[in-house]
Amino acid sequence: MSTQIDPAGSAYPNIFLPREAEIVRAEQVTATEKHFTLKMKDGQPMSFEPGQMLEVSVFGFGEIPIGFASSPTRINTFDIVVRKVGRVSSAIAALQPKQSLFVRGPLGHGFPLDKFRGENVLVVAGGIGLCPTRSLILYILDRRSEFKNFTLFFGARTPKEQLFLDDLAAWRKSSDVNYFETVDRADESWTGNVGVITTLFKKVAVDPKTKVVICGPPVMYKFVVAELGSLGVAKSDIYLDLERRMKCGIGKCGHCQINDKYVCLDGPVFCLKDIENLEEAFR
Amino acid sequence: MSTVHYFLEDADFDPFVEGMMKTAAVHAPVSRKHRFVFAPVASAKDVRLDYDVTILPPKKVIFPVRQDLVTFDPAGAASAIRPEPMILFGVHFYDIKAIDMLDTLFRENNEDWNYLAQREATTIVGSNIQSISPRAFWGTVGRGVKPRGHDAFLTKLPSGYVFSAYTPKGEKLLSCGKFSPATAAQTAEATQVNEEIMSKCPESLPYASEEIADKVRKAFTNKLWDEFSLTCFSCGTCNIVCPTCYCFDVQDNWNLDQVSGQRTRAWDGCLLEDFAKVSQGGGACENFREHRGQRYRHRIMRKAAYLNEKLGGPACVGCGRCAAQCVPDIADPARVIQSIMEG
Repeated sequence: MSTQIDPAGSAYPNIFLPREAEIVRAEQVTATEKHFTLKMKDGQPMSFEPGQMLEVSVFGFGEIPIGFASSPTRINTFDIVVRKVGRVSSAIAALQPKQSLFVRGPLGHGFPLDKFRGENVLVVAGGIGLCPTRSLILYILDRRSEFKNFTLFFGARTPKEQLFLDDLAAWRKSSDVNYFETVDRADESWTGNVGVITTLFKKVAVDPKTKVVICGPPVMYKFVVAELGSLGVAKSDIYLDLERRMKCGIGKCGHCQINDKYVCLDGPVFCLKDIENLEEAFR
Repeated sequence: MSTVHYFLEDADFDPFVEGMMKTAAVHAPVSRKHRFVFAPVASAKDVRLDYDVTILPPKKVIFPVRQDLVTFDPAGAASAIRPEPMILFGVHFYDIKAIDMLDTLFRENNEDWNYLAQREATTIVGSNIQSISPRAFWGTVGRGVKPRGHDAFLTKLPSGYVFSAYTPKGEKLLSCGKFSPATAAQTAEATQVNEEIMSKCPESLPYASEEIADKVRKAFTNKLWDEFSLTCFSCGTCNIVCPTCYCFDVQDNWNLDQVSGQRTRAWDGCLLEDFAKVSQGGGACENFREHRGQRYRHRIMRKAAYLNEKLGGPACVGCGRCAAQCVPDIADPARVIQSIMEG
């Protein structure tokens, strides 16, 4: 199936008309998560910033918003990870290499890389919050000399729910990233830290002059923000990658609003100082 | 172009409507039992410019309840934008203001031609308010926001109508009927008719928009949201009848052949329980506006505060539809805002 714009409708640009992307690699990485590598069929590479997202669809099933999980430094293909939770994500998860997905994007604002260059960076990722932040993590690792100290906290509910096992194995050994991990509930295979993600703050001294990125389940943010506050990290240095229900991705449908902000337009990455007074930002 | 005023005799009204019907589909207020709706006009005699308010706002002609965005089949996907020439006739000034707000919102940031194409193909003719609906407060809300974007306006005088043309699209309609230049006295009378009606609303919100926006925004944690919404059914009627609500859902639908179909948007409402709910898998979910009071508050915030900067005033035009059609009668923005202003 290739996307052809009907001549009768071509007098008007249609912002809902998606582009076709071919699946070049698909790997079931946990019981519910599938990792796809995609390539645009029209030969125009997807150009995006870490933290941006796209609307991904299978015709006949629908569209869902998903963050880029690869770094834009790797230009020919891009990655997404889909958690199978509903009608659309189940349809996506059933697809195999050589089949197509339809995408609109990139959408929204990503991480402000210009503000991160030359600074210490800490990424705090919980669960599938590691998917959109992986875009930033790989970007930093690809351009490591442009950043100072780089630390990564990753928390999963159980060891079986850890994602990107090859990446994790590499990061554990790498001297380019100070990697710390935890699980909420251990099993017999686990020898590492057990506890919620904030327990990792006891493992390492975080320099108050650090740019921090947080992405995880809704309940996680306020606890990490409180921890960073007690360490003296400025609100203007803290960035939150937020999730909301989203339909259009272009600031119209209204679903993703946090007070008067739109996650699809103003986010999904927000600086804490810009949203700290928004009552609907935190759970 | 500068405004030009014409006069249409009462006897020439039906021929004018019939003349318009020869050029494009005409959507106008018609009666359904004792109430009114905007509908395609089959006969000029059906047009009821003496209506008080329609059940649904005329936005439905430009932003349909259900609208295909994209069609798909095994050969590919195609844009479903298919504007058709249309005359939206007999629109009250508050609904003209609302359509102008939608124009701004569908154009800002990312132009949505699924709306804009039909909007550009539509000629809007306003008409003065001849009967007043029981819950209207358009006389006082958002007085700083003037009706804009319509092409012509019709004002009923005892012996006929003053037809004011504001745009070339509006002027084009003159060829559909028998008009004569309006006299200065007729134009002055029309102005007076439209000014006098403003003080006759049954409800009022006698505060500056900025003052309302400020106080409503500051009342975010007030307990009144929970109190007002105690009897809310979360039915979304207040959203559906609102001329400025434009939230929508997007769903795919298969045709019976099971290989082709459409990606369609349909009106949605922030009062509905699932509006901000996301699934997390394994039966878990996160509802970012889980409680009725939160959803109820969000609507009033959107109408009175959040969009004011973009629109130059509140996103409420005082039509009174939500107030009149809310079953437990808790949706009236005038009453909620009044209560905040007094509190």
